[in-house]
Amino acid sequence: MITDSLNDIEGVYSREAELFTAYLVSSPLNEREKKLYNKAMIHFDLKLSNFEKELLKKMMKSNINMATVDAGLAILKPSSLVRRKLFTMLAILEASPNYTSHFFSKEYSWSYYFKLLYVGVRAVCRTIAGVFIVKKIERKCI
Amino acid sequence: MHLNFDYLVVGSGATGAIAAKTLVDKGVQVGLLDIGEEDNVYKDLIPNTDFLSIRKKDTEQHRYFLGDQFEGIPWETTRVGSQLTPPRSFLTRFSEAFFPFDSESFQPLESAAKGGLGGGWGLGSYVFSKLELEAVGLSDYEINASYKEIMDYIGVSGIYDDGGKYGLGSNKKIQPAMKLDVNHQKILKAYQKNKYKLNKNDIYVGQSVLALLTEDKLNRKAVQYRDMGFWSDTNKSAYRSWMTIDELNKKPNFKYHKNCLVTKFEEFDGGVRVFVKRTDTNEIQLYTCKKLILSPGVLGTARIVSRSFDYKKEKLPILCNPYSYMPCINRRQLGKKVDQHQTSFAQLVMYLDDQKNNFDVGVAALFSYRSLLLFKLIKETPLNFADARIIMQFLQSSFTIAGIHHPEKGSDNKFISLTKDKDSYTGDKLVGQYILSEKELFKNKNREKKFKSALTTLGCYPMKTIQTPAGGSIHYGGTLPFSENNELFHVLKNGKLGGTKNIYVADGSGFKYLPAKGVTLTLMANANRVAKNVLKNE
Repeated sequence: MITDSLNDIEGVYSREAELFTAYLVSSPLNEREKKLYNKAMIHFDLKLSNFEKELLKKMMKSNINMATVDAGLAILKPSSLVRRKLFTMLAILEASPNYTSHFFSKEYSWSYYFKLLYVGVRAVCRTIAGVFIVKKIERKCI
Repeated sequence: MHLNFDYLVVGSGATGAIAAKTLVDKGVQVGLLDIGEEDNVYKDLIPNTDFLSIRKKDTEQHRYFLGDQFEGIPWETTRVGSQLTPPRSFLTRFSEAFFPFDSESFQPLESAAKGGLGGGWGLGSYVFSKLELEAVGLSDYEINASYKEIMDYIGVSGIYDDGGKYGLGSNKKIQPAMKLDVNHQKILKAYQKNKYKLNKNDIYVGQSVLALLTEDKLNRKAVQYRDMGFWSDTNKSAYRSWMTIDELNKKPNFKYHKNCLVTKFEEFDGGVRVFVKRTDTNEIQLYTCKKLILSPGVLGTARIVSRSFDYKKEKLPILCNPYSYMPCINRRQLGKKVDQHQTSFAQLVMYLDDQKNNFDVGVAALFSYRSLLLFKLIKETPLNFADARIIMQFLQSSFTIAGIHHPEKGSDNKFISLTKDKDSYTGDKLVGQYILSEKELFKNKNREKKFKSALTTLGCYPMKTIQTPAGGSIHYGGTLPFSENNELFHVLKNGKLGGTKNIYVADGSGFKYLPAKGVTLTLMANANRVAKNVLKNE
């Protein structure tokens, strides 16, 4: 029984790790980093509130939801445990040779400024939508 | 009565190590009492190569970059000790248990490690000016000889440029300055171009003077620009106090005692009894010596002295440099690739000498940001992590961190006090208060404003100013202020503890003023001076 429930938890964490990685660096997740995320989550043993569980549920539905909820939380509740999960995955990815290229500086061309402009505008839009969604879920949970 | 030692030194940090070395070099029998925590987990894991190669190849890097217990993934708002990476976490291990401190306004760091907090020292080595030394309570004649001796021993590199008079004094015989990375080369070039304007505003910029070898010295190698300064000391190019302890351990007239927490002392005719609580067995042990040299750090000394004098004084003054930092964007480095070879240490230093007399000088040390990893910076942005990563990756090469130290004079609103606490390891705990006055806050803000303006002139745009909690600078002093009079809770000019015959203080407890320039070199020079006075039997 205990083994089954542990497997369930690890399955949940593995699913989180995969979706978080797709969201953070747009890449598939390797087994090594998945195991590390599992280990970190078991170690941290984060107790999510009902509100945070709802947020996480929403985020797991799609990449767009993930980005908007994360953006809303960055403004409204930057210390939320949901963000802590994402942050842990981000740290694990950065400290892995498979994903370092997503964190290293590069020699950028001038055209990259257009991409940055796009990312900036997208980030602002995600924040506006995110604030709205997070507040809506919060109201639902009260 | 048989004495265990002629001379006993307490603590192995920057001052204890130097005091012990000065005594051992004179051939006398020396014992050193220390808790002596060491890193037994990470040091052998870190490959002896550069940061980028490690990042690209080592599949085990998460163990030391993030920590086996993921302690390198900070979540709470940590404004202090970001340089205490997992391989450096042993520096503060058990400090809460052995050195309890309770305060809402003061958060000091203490260490039970072999080599003390010196293991995380940023290596900035500054010679204080005559006016600064006077305010500290030190004679420039006496300390200048010790400065030369210590700089020669630890190996200091730098250059006598515009910052020379603030950092080097008259000490010009040092190793060449380290090579600047491209980011700092551009800042220095901008300074040369705008020098007239900046100097008119009392701003001077020079290369850092560091306890970092740029040429081989005995068994220590010159810096290899691997950018692993926050993670390992493999080539010993950066001076650390534990190196001195390891060197002394080879000498027949030196004995290192580990797991020893000194609780108090008691003088008797012809010597000193030293009470020790063993941190491995919790046993109480007694050592005896002719002379005792206290150097466990300012707070540690305050504990030992307060206990030994039966908690007679309720409040002891405390000094600590206020510290803030400004993450900046160097526009000339936007979108560039970061150098393969660089160091994590401060490369340039800005001095603000608005009194034009090398006194009360503000100091801003400039660092490039890379080896502490990007995710910690991404967390600081108010954006979603995915977009923040893309933006921060682009900005990475242009990140310049200005760490600003302010001078510190102390006031009635800054004090510590040892109070009884039966639940603590030693039966007591330090409590404290550190509140800056309106005038001090105004002065510091004004200084930050001037640095901000100077940074902008240099093409580095500050994004925000982050104030660290009091205690964050890790520079402490002034608990037992220097005095001409032989009174309790003061240190005499020669380093002897007031009201005692055979007890000396070799750390910064006597310092009555803390210049904004880093205090470590002066602490070591003072320890050398005090140890010489111990031998003179003054």
